[in-house]
Amino acid sequence: MIELPAHIFLNTILGASLAALVCSLIGVFIVRMNLSSMGFCMSHAAFAGVALGLAISRDPLLMALGMSTLVALILGPVAERARLQADIILGTMFSLTMALGLFFLSIIPGSAMSSTALSILWGSVLGITDSDLMRLGGLSVFLIGVIGLFYKEFLAIMLDRKLAEESGINTRPFYYAILFLCGITVSVSLKLIGGLLIFALMVNPVSSAYQFSHNMKNIIFLAPLFGLASSVTGIIFSFQWDVPLGSSIVIMSVALFLISIVLSPKRRRG
Amino acid sequence: MRPVIEMLGVDTVYEGEKNATLKGVDLRIWPGDLVCVLGPNGAGKTTLLETINGILPYKMGRVTVLDEDVCTRGPKVRRQVGYMLQEHTFPESTPYLVKDVIIMGRFGRIGLFRRPNETDWNAARRAAEYMEIFHLWDRPIGKLSGGQVQKVLLARTLAKEPRILLMDEPYSNLDYRATEEISSKICELHRTRNLTTLMVIHELNHIPPDCNRIVLLKDGKILGDAPPQKMLSSSLFRHAFSEG
Repeated sequence: MIELPAHIFLNTILGASLAALVCSLIGVFIVRMNLSSMGFCMSHAAFAGVALGLAISRDPLLMALGMSTLVALILGPVAERARLQADIILGTMFSLTMALGLFFLSIIPGSAMSSTALSILWGSVLGITDSDLMRLGGLSVFLIGVIGLFYKEFLAIMLDRKLAEESGINTRPFYYAILFLCGITVSVSLKLIGGLLIFALMVNPVSSAYQFSHNMKNIIFLAPLFGLASSVTGIIFSFQWDVPLGSSIVIMSVALFLISIVLSPKRRRG
Repeated sequence: MRPVIEMLGVDTVYEGEKNATLKGVDLRIWPGDLVCVLGPNGAGKTTLLETINGILPYKMGRVTVLDEDVCTRGPKVRRQVGYMLQEHTFPESTPYLVKDVIIMGRFGRIGLFRRPNETDWNAARRAAEYMEIFHLWDRPIGKLSGGQVQKVLLARTLAKEPRILLMDEPYSNLDYRATEEISSKICELHRTRNLTTLMVIHELNHIPPDCNRIVLLKDGKILGDAPPQKMLSSSLFRHAFSEG
């Protein structure tokens, strides 16, 4: 078992837990609104942004935020208005952002595909700093605040956007807000979980929560709990068996999902 | 008396389409009217309802509902207009309860930054009781039959306490019994609340006894607008459903 100084261990636990909280919270929207491809695309846009930041020596987080916001701004109207299926547009955007990410990685000064660059792909919770924690904490408060403030509007839009529009809610700003929040969440969490694995932490805890309730209100509370459980067990698993932390957390989230399927009251007969 | 719905020379064009789906539509609906909209497939019936409701923006003309321009005041109009969508179904896994779906009908009129209060929940309960589905109150919406879902959606619309009711083929995919039950509720609503109702239907035997006008649509144009007896016996009616 790996032994770490207490403050690094504490930062790791806190960082992973906060990342799991925000990812699974935004994941509720992504899963319910069938935005999985969009979330996937956003995570790669943020990845490309970080790579660009490293390549041109600018703040990678700011570049990730900029890139994912740009993609959100493009994807929202395009997905609404294009006569092509959204999946086709997303497929194109996904391949573009992935290609841009790899291109920017290749032009990073010094050794290409350096450990810094690779950490974007795989994440590095152990390297979390106090300022990273502040950002994650701030994002958690912001996300919970926005969801709390517009809870009923988000709830209605997640049921059905057209029904929500019919009831008199102007859905467009809320829809764009969801995409924007998704972009911020991905950008801020990218360093910890990594571009390749962050998406799992958005989807798996929500999928687990779905196994235990028919009520969206319960799912919104359960999903972050499953996310936290994935993070904590993932950290223990990682330290115990000396495996990469990001992948360990994701493996645990998948394991929890499988256990949830087995234990799901929805599948019991009689 | 002023019309509650007024359409003057309205063209509606779908995003990316060249040709208008509604072409130069003029229509006035008066308070207490129960109007059925008939026409062949692709005539523009759903487009007509969605243009009135402001969900679809129109390109030309003017649509006024309850003295508000739906183009600029769409959300405000929709808070007072109940609209039952065509063949709306919920997958079995939909994680919403019947009570949540019904109360959502009031979300627009509740407004931003406010949660539903006791008045809102009472309106939702009354709507569920009126539609005789209060026993389904805590059931998941995805577990209901087609007829039950239609009743929930009508309850949702009534929870809003609308001044106008728009219904798009409310009987599609329903069995005989469910059709009868919903039809009698629509007539009762019209009689007891004098609710102005505009409904798209597909079959002549679905025309409610209280219907006072039939609007006939074909190729996005209004071919005729007359009381049921007069309309059904007219040559226009046969022309609307003829090929070409």
